[in-house]
Amino acid sequence: MSASARQSIVLSAAGVDIVPADAAAAGPKTILKPLTLELAEQRIAVIGANGSGKSTLLRLLNGLVLPSTGSVRVNGLDTAADGAAVRRTVGFVFTDPLSQLVMPTPVEDVELSLRRLKLPKKERRARALDILAGYRLAHLAGNSIYELSGGERQMVALATVLAVEPSILVLDEPSTLLDLRNTRLLRERLASLPQQVVMSTHDLDLAADCGRVLVVDDAGIAFDGPPDDAVARYRALVG
Amino acid sequence: MRGHAHLVAGYIPGRSPFHRMPLWVKAVLLLLVAVLCLASPAVSVPAGAAVTTAVLLAAVASHGVARLPWGRLWRAVKLMLVFLVLIAAYQWWEHGALVAWQVVAAIVATVLASNVLTATTPVDELLDGLAAMVRPLERFGADPERFSLTVALMLRSIPFVIGAFSDVRDAARARGLERNLLARSLPVVIATVGYARATGEALVARGLGDPEPDDDASGGTGPGR
Ligand SMILES: Nc1ncnc2c1ncn2[C@@H]1O[C@H](COP(=O)(O)OP(=O)(O)O)[C@@H](O)[C@H]1O
Ligand SMILES: [Mg+2]
Repeated sequence: MSASARQSIVLSAAGVDIVPADAAAAGPKTILKPLTLELAEQRIAVIGANGSGKSTLLRLLNGLVLPSTGSVRVNGLDTAADGAAVRRTVGFVFTDPLSQLVMPTPVEDVELSLRRLKLPKKERRARALDILAGYRLAHLAGNSIYELSGGERQMVALATVLAVEPSILVLDEPSTLLDLRNTRLLRERLASLPQQVVMSTHDLDLAADCGRVLVVDDAGIAFDGPPDDAVARYRALVG
Repeated sequence: MRGHAHLVAGYIPGRSPFHRMPLWVKAVLLLLVAVLCLASPAVSVPAGAAVTTAVLLAAVASHGVARLPWGRLWRAVKLMLVFLVLIAAYQWWEHGALVAWQVVAAIVATVLASNVLTATTPVDELLDGLAAMVRPLERFGADPERFSLTVALMLRSIPFVIGAFSDVRDAARARGLERNLLARSLPVVIATVGYARATGEALVARGLGDPEPDDDASGGTGPGR
């Protein structure tokens, strides 16, 4: 399975500037300074204060945000030139699963992901139910997504993204809306995945599971290394 | 943001004849209801009233056959009640009681019949049906998948907007601003635009708006299957 094969994400001097909508405001604002990085480890965490640029960095990885300078390549594919292929490689989970789940029920949402495979309808449904069962969500398959708990919703969101078997999974603060128990479930789930995982988090336990941790501060990388040192650095930055 | 799915018509699982009926049969029946209600008054006013009354009774009976909760029927009517009263009053004044009854009964019968259809058809099947309907237009540039996805998003967004209204009302009340129109409407607009952006991003991230890959050879795709 190529999911467990080595993945590579390469940022070459990739930076993001925002041109303000208000013409009277000062020139473009840099929300991510040009970065040169290679992300090849199986588990990578991104930590940092609110507004430091974590989400911007993660969005660069699947082409949701395109670099204003430099380039981002995922397994050799340029996020600007080959956006569709990059998005098939990189699955993305948002903080709020409600904005991610677009269909009325979990089974329909998984089926929506599976539409890409052009399976006959019956097979598609069977497969979607299988996938949900793998997440112990089979009993909720036909419920309204509004009736699910936050933890269940986040698991459904994860299931819909992984249904199409991306080889890299990016998660933006996946546990911020979860309680302790659901955070633990998510943590166990993530640990068992064959995919390369890159996630931002405020949960330092979750970060400690990762071999490599990036500390983002003021639109740049303040530290890049093992989790213990990264957490120490992050605490020092907060002061 | 809280969801308010219970306020919106949705699929109710069941095993009634309507649940097992193919979608196209239900669609034809619904069309029949609409045609009977609209065309029968052209024959004569009493004929129109009689036919429409019969259709209304049939629609109510269908609710029973489909084993839908009666609360749902009432809710569908309640949502339109103000309009129904206004329309009835106007028609009565202009054309008399029989016409007023025919018009109101026609509206209620059509709404109830469509209610039976949406309550007994899973959204997914509804979308496939819509996509099938649009498919003949494909050669003129229509994209059936995109069309049915759009409808799904619309269905999915209604509870959000209703939820936004009630959350904002609560928030305004908490600040003693319940009479302030701006405090009650502007945040709904902002929340809705934010929701639309987030949904758009999620669709892009899931590759749902992307063109179909022509060949599976395009490097970097997920594990082979
Ligand atoms: N589309 C945008 N337009 C303007 N400013 C933005 C935009 N996206 C992000 N920003 C700004 O960039 C900074 C970093 O944002 P973000 O990457 O979301 O931070 P984090 O995820 O670490 O909280 C913030 O100051 C934010 O306001
Ligand atoms: Mg963020």
